[in-house]
Amino acid sequence: MKSYDVAIVGGGHNGLVCAAYLARAGKRVVVLERRERVGGAAMSEEVFPGFRFSVFSYVVSLLRPEIIRELELPRHGLHILPLESTLTPLVEGGKKGDYLAQWNDHDQNRRELARHSPRDAEAYDEFGLELHQMARLIKPILAMAPPDPVSLHPRELLDLASLARMFRKIEKKKFNALWRLLTMSSAEYLDAWFESEALKATKSASGIIGTMLGPRSPGTAYVLLHHYMGELDGVFRAWGFAKGGNGSVSAAIAASARSSGAEIRTSAPVQSILVQDGRAKGAVLESGEEIYADIVVSGADPRRTFLGLVGEKHLPGDFAEAIRRFRFRGSSAKVNLALGELPDFTCLPGRGPHLRGAISISPSVAYLERAYDDAKYGEISRRPYMDIVIPSMLDPAMAPPGKHVMSIFVQYAPYRVNGGWTDARREALGDAVVDTLAAHAPNIKSAILHRQVVTPADIERVVGLSEGNIFQGELSLQQMFFLRPAPAWARYRTPIDGLWQCGSGTHPGGGVMGASGRNAAASILGKRA
Amino acid sequence: MSFHAIVIGTGVDALVAAHMLARHGRQVLVVEERSPAIRDFGWVPSKVVADLGLALELDAPDPWAVALLPDGGKLELWRDLRRTADSIRRYSDRDAQKWPDFCRRMAALARLFERLYLEAPTDPLNLRFALGARGLGREGMVDLMRLLPMPVAELLDDWFECDSLKGALAAMGILNIQQGPRSGGTAFRFLHHHVGSPAGVFRPPRSDIGGRLRQLPRSGLSFRTAQARKIRIDGGKVEGLVLDHGEEIVAPIVVSGADPRRTLLELADPGWLDPELARGVGNIRARGVAARLSFEGPAKGNLVFAPSLDYLERAYDEVKYGRISRDPYLEAHSSPRGIEVHFQYVPQGSGEHLGALVATARRLLPGLENAKLVSILGPADLERDEGWPQGQPYHAELALDQALWMRPLPELSQYETPIEGLWLCGPAMHPGGGVAGAAGYNCAQAILKERN
Amino acid sequence: MLKTTPFHERTSTLCESHAWRRWAGYIVASSYELSHEREYHCIRAAAALFDVSPLYKYVIRGRDAARLLDRVVTRDVMRAQVGQVLYTPWCDAAGKVLDDGTVARLDEGTFRMTSAESSLRWLDANSVGLEVTVEEVSESIAALSIQGPQSLAVLRALGDIPPLKYFRLARTELRGVPVEISRTGYTGDLGFEIWIPSGNAIPVWDAVMEVGKDYGLQAAGMLALDVARIEAGLMLIDVDYVPARKALAESQTSSPYELDLAWAVNLDKEQFVGRQALAAEKARGPAWRFVGIEIGYPGLERLYADVGLATRLPQAAWRSSVPIYSGAEQAGYATSGGWSPVLKKYIALAHLRAPWARPGTELDIEITVEHRRKRTAARVVKKPFFDPERKRS
Repeated sequence: MKSYDVAIVGGGHNGLVCAAYLARAGKRVVVLERRERVGGAAMSEEVFPGFRFSVFSYVVSLLRPEIIRELELPRHGLHILPLESTLTPLVEGGKKGDYLAQWNDHDQNRRELARHSPRDAEAYDEFGLELHQMARLIKPILAMAPPDPVSLHPRELLDLASLARMFRKIEKKKFNALWRLLTMSSAEYLDAWFESEALKATKSASGIIGTMLGPRSPGTAYVLLHHYMGELDGVFRAWGFAKGGNGSVSAAIAASARSSGAEIRTSAPVQSILVQDGRAKGAVLESGEEIYADIVVSGADPRRTFLGLVGEKHLPGDFAEAIRRFRFRGSSAKVNLALGELPDFTCLPGRGPHLRGAISISPSVAYLERAYDDAKYGEISRRPYMDIVIPSMLDPAMAPPGKHVMSIFVQYAPYRVNGGWTDARREALGDAVVDTLAAHAPNIKSAILHRQVVTPADIERVVGLSEGNIFQGELSLQQMFFLRPAPAWARYRTPIDGLWQCGSGTHPGGGVMGASGRNAAASILGKRA
Repeated sequence: MSFHAIVIGTGVDALVAAHMLARHGRQVLVVEERSPAIRDFGWVPSKVVADLGLALELDAPDPWAVALLPDGGKLELWRDLRRTADSIRRYSDRDAQKWPDFCRRMAALARLFERLYLEAPTDPLNLRFALGARGLGREGMVDLMRLLPMPVAELLDDWFECDSLKGALAAMGILNIQQGPRSGGTAFRFLHHHVGSPAGVFRPPRSDIGGRLRQLPRSGLSFRTAQARKIRIDGGKVEGLVLDHGEEIVAPIVVSGADPRRTLLELADPGWLDPELARGVGNIRARGVAARLSFEGPAKGNLVFAPSLDYLERAYDEVKYGRISRDPYLEAHSSPRGIEVHFQYVPQGSGEHLGALVATARRLLPGLENAKLVSILGPADLERDEGWPQGQPYHAELALDQALWMRPLPELSQYETPIEGLWLCGPAMHPGGGVAGAAGYNCAQAILKERN
Repeated sequence: MLKTTPFHERTSTLCESHAWRRWAGYIVASSYELSHEREYHCIRAAAALFDVSPLYKYVIRGRDAARLLDRVVTRDVMRAQVGQVLYTPWCDAAGKVLDDGTVARLDEGTFRMTSAESSLRWLDANSVGLEVTVEEVSESIAALSIQGPQSLAVLRALGDIPPLKYFRLARTELRGVPVEISRTGYTGDLGFEIWIPSGNAIPVWDAVMEVGKDYGLQAAGMLALDVARIEAGLMLIDVDYVPARKALAESQTSSPYELDLAWAVNLDKEQFVGRQALAAEKARGPAWRFVGIEIGYPGLERLYADVGLATRLPQAAWRSSVPIYSGAEQAGYATSGGWSPVLKKYIALAHLRAPWARPGTELDIEITVEHRRKRTAARVVKKPFFDPERKRS
């Protein structure tokens, strides 16, 4: 029996980040990962011989730059390749249709937007500026442990006052703009900026990612901003692809943690968290092995942590109630394709630079809204929203020479699909995706060598994310900041002494960001996050 | 004859503002653009009643709502909590038990808003607001923070399991807005429509406030029936009002009960505004989503057809694509005009299809089979008859980004405009439609404060 | 892909240097010859031809066309005569400059506006309640600028050119092609701009080049233009000032007063965007001024001599922010500068805090000599640095 300062349950990216920071601070840390590899949803796997995939999460942007810096991730093998464009094919059907492309180069981008609407091309810069300002406003909040606004504890009051001071320093105009982003739907927010349907649709699509909301649902404008907060090399809204797939993000963090002395145990599934007299003492593995630690940190989502690993009997009633009503409702799926040749888009044929960026199947806001309507009532979207990247275009090592891997993020595939997820339904989802894509790139069907379909149920089963929610809990305003995952317990602490949380189910949550893990480590170390 | 102020409009808010100004010694001309409704919908704050000495006759139907079920049954919701719980118990014992606690917690939040609604809005960083919210205690504050951005469907799902109860309550979250019960911010709207009502009553009252305001003593007030054509402005200051027949009336103050877009972009010369603000005014969302049907005869209580959350959501789905709901949310009550039916959702521009609404209403609401149709007014008709922009009775949709200190735009939220002497007092202003007279009252207070 | 102008067919074959730069999403020649030097001297001694098609151009028509523009810009458009061209800045409601350009009154109810930034949305926002149409003609109208003492002679050899006063415009034909010619430019010299329907761009280019040979005319690029415009004391957007819409912080913005454009702000107009803020600023006095700076040659020479070098002068105009000091205090910063071949002086355009902005004020400017930062004497002088009679006469 070995004893540690800290035992971390779950080797997802946040668990690893937390472990790395604690180990750097001199703690004896062990990470207990259920699967045979670390990374949680940020992992790469050779699913088919010669074809490597970022099976679940597939792009990097939200990963906090301070984490890359402080944990020296590039030294530990992280190399991020920028994704430079987004192509939105516009017309369905075999005919040659139009497209909207967004390019990294300002002039090229502007010219393309002006082709659709000169006014939008003009508004685009102002829009970008506003979101940039908002992202700057939010940035310090991302690295903050949210105070409890209700508490009368002097420390909480102090933190609350400094938060209020920070907000009061913000110009009124900017504060109001932020409020609008927090409360509006992405479609309505964009309506006030743009007139071109394709642009509105493609932009609003980043507001629905990971949510069970449509582009016309209030709250989605914030998710849009959340996806704008990505920062690469000091530029907001820059997206990248990790060389070797998103598994290399986790691998780099794990290597950094190990180099600071953390122990990482894979194939070590935790069955329960040991609680005695209201205090966390360690973890019990499924093998029966008991691991003792002064502090236990859970990287699992709140439902799994509290209702599963801890058990309701150890929890105060109102806290258990809050965790029970914390909403997950996974809505996203992944389809991973091994391709014998590149897709050829009717709207922009050939092997152009557009294949090095993202391809967004989001021809109109109504298209996205209809996809949501299906899901609202428990059906897979007949015509889903898809965000496609071809990692082998940027990193040829992902596939055999001349062949390619394609990663398709799909929405909506509701976790609570009518009749439940079955093999047949999984394949039906795969077919809907391929059919939708074939309408834009007819050669896709013959190009497919292998297909992997990952449903929210698969995400839950394999990665352990409740209901397959990629953010460990919906990113809606009522589940954010003070309230993530439960009121009064948003500072990574829990009602059980010695038990902490560090997953995306805590503030700020969502995406391969790592901020939760870093903030949790800071809180555990008694530093101001 | 010279006036201190000219008030445009005949809505309740405009009349309240006019009377308040007259009470404080101002010579006020009211330009009546249409004949006002005698009975109106919405809580009348007691401060308005007291300050103007109104003797209101309030409708207090009991049950306050009769929720019709698709199988022909009904769920009666009474003013008495226990009696309502008994009704609910027939469908769900669990919900019946929760009812009193739900009502208590919603009423606690509503009381906070009651206070906030009778003053010019402040943002949440304002200390008074923060202290008010903290005054709710831990439970109330957590409720407030969670509830404000929530979809009403999630709020009700947290509490209840009975579909018809949830449907009848959720209707107040979506009333007069192009959103469904699963849209964020609708829980706030549910609360908004609860403000001023006793615990357990989730329908704003109706009163004869329009009629009573007209009966008030008129000292200091003049009335003129005319349409406003142009607000005269010189050097950024109001000089008076030009009426449709060309007559010019001089006054240093114009208080407009018309919606902000018409007031600032049509009646006033928008050249006086920051173009960014003018753009903002043009972007204020004000979509009408309902039609009003009138039939002969009295209604049998306040009938609600909103059998479930999914039903309402599906009704909403259609309007997103510009179609009339085949299975709409309906609510019927007795009015001086007969049975008045609120039919939601009806998108704008569905004029020629309005006839189809009658059969739908007759199919879903009992008692209309043989009632004679008096009128159908769609959004375009309501715009013409009532002056509601695009048929939106609140003049600006009451959504979180257009509520409180953001109503209708942060730059206009204090009832003042950048044009000196031009004020806004209509339902587009805080607290907005559904509360009768508060915007006019707050606006008059702001004018009196400024000018004293 | 970047856009090419209607003259690209010609300019691309002429461009021996293969040096291109971006301008509003187009590529234009930096210089045609291997060095821009001769092109510059053509501006001052003969005639130079510039392709200025990338300018944003709008035609504003309708009953309220004059009112719209009067609302937008700081000068009085209502009183502009037909055939008059106004150079003017325009501002946001805070009185900060959004852009600068020209407004030409083509006839009673038709105007053409040129701008550096795309301005459609701003014109739209200002059109609320007005009877006016705004049409973007950036691509359908090609523009040439012919500048230099021989420019009028070249034009006269091509068509019937009516007498044109400074900042006036007329319709005429060049070799049978209908064009508009305005006596405007960006060099501070005698010069004209020719506005041509894009379809006729090439024939006009060819005609000007052919006739121009006899007058020493040469196609010239942006490097030569940059030197000339600094000599003329003309500011450049994004270089000498940050347009308010692109500013990330309020401190980056400038008012017309701070850009030495007080003459272009007409506060007698009752209503225009930014009026209130500008009236207040005028009463207060602007905090910053935009001035000319002359960098003393002896000081420069000494600094280079100290490290055993001959004095080095910039070969082309520079565009970077350079601190200017008064003693230990930073008085401001220069934003563009260079050697003036015609004046034989090292000049710069600079933003100075008001107390140091008076002509004659002695200051120090930072200069890097052999990898080390030094300071050398500079003096505030009146703009324009170069202002020949022929410009207006």
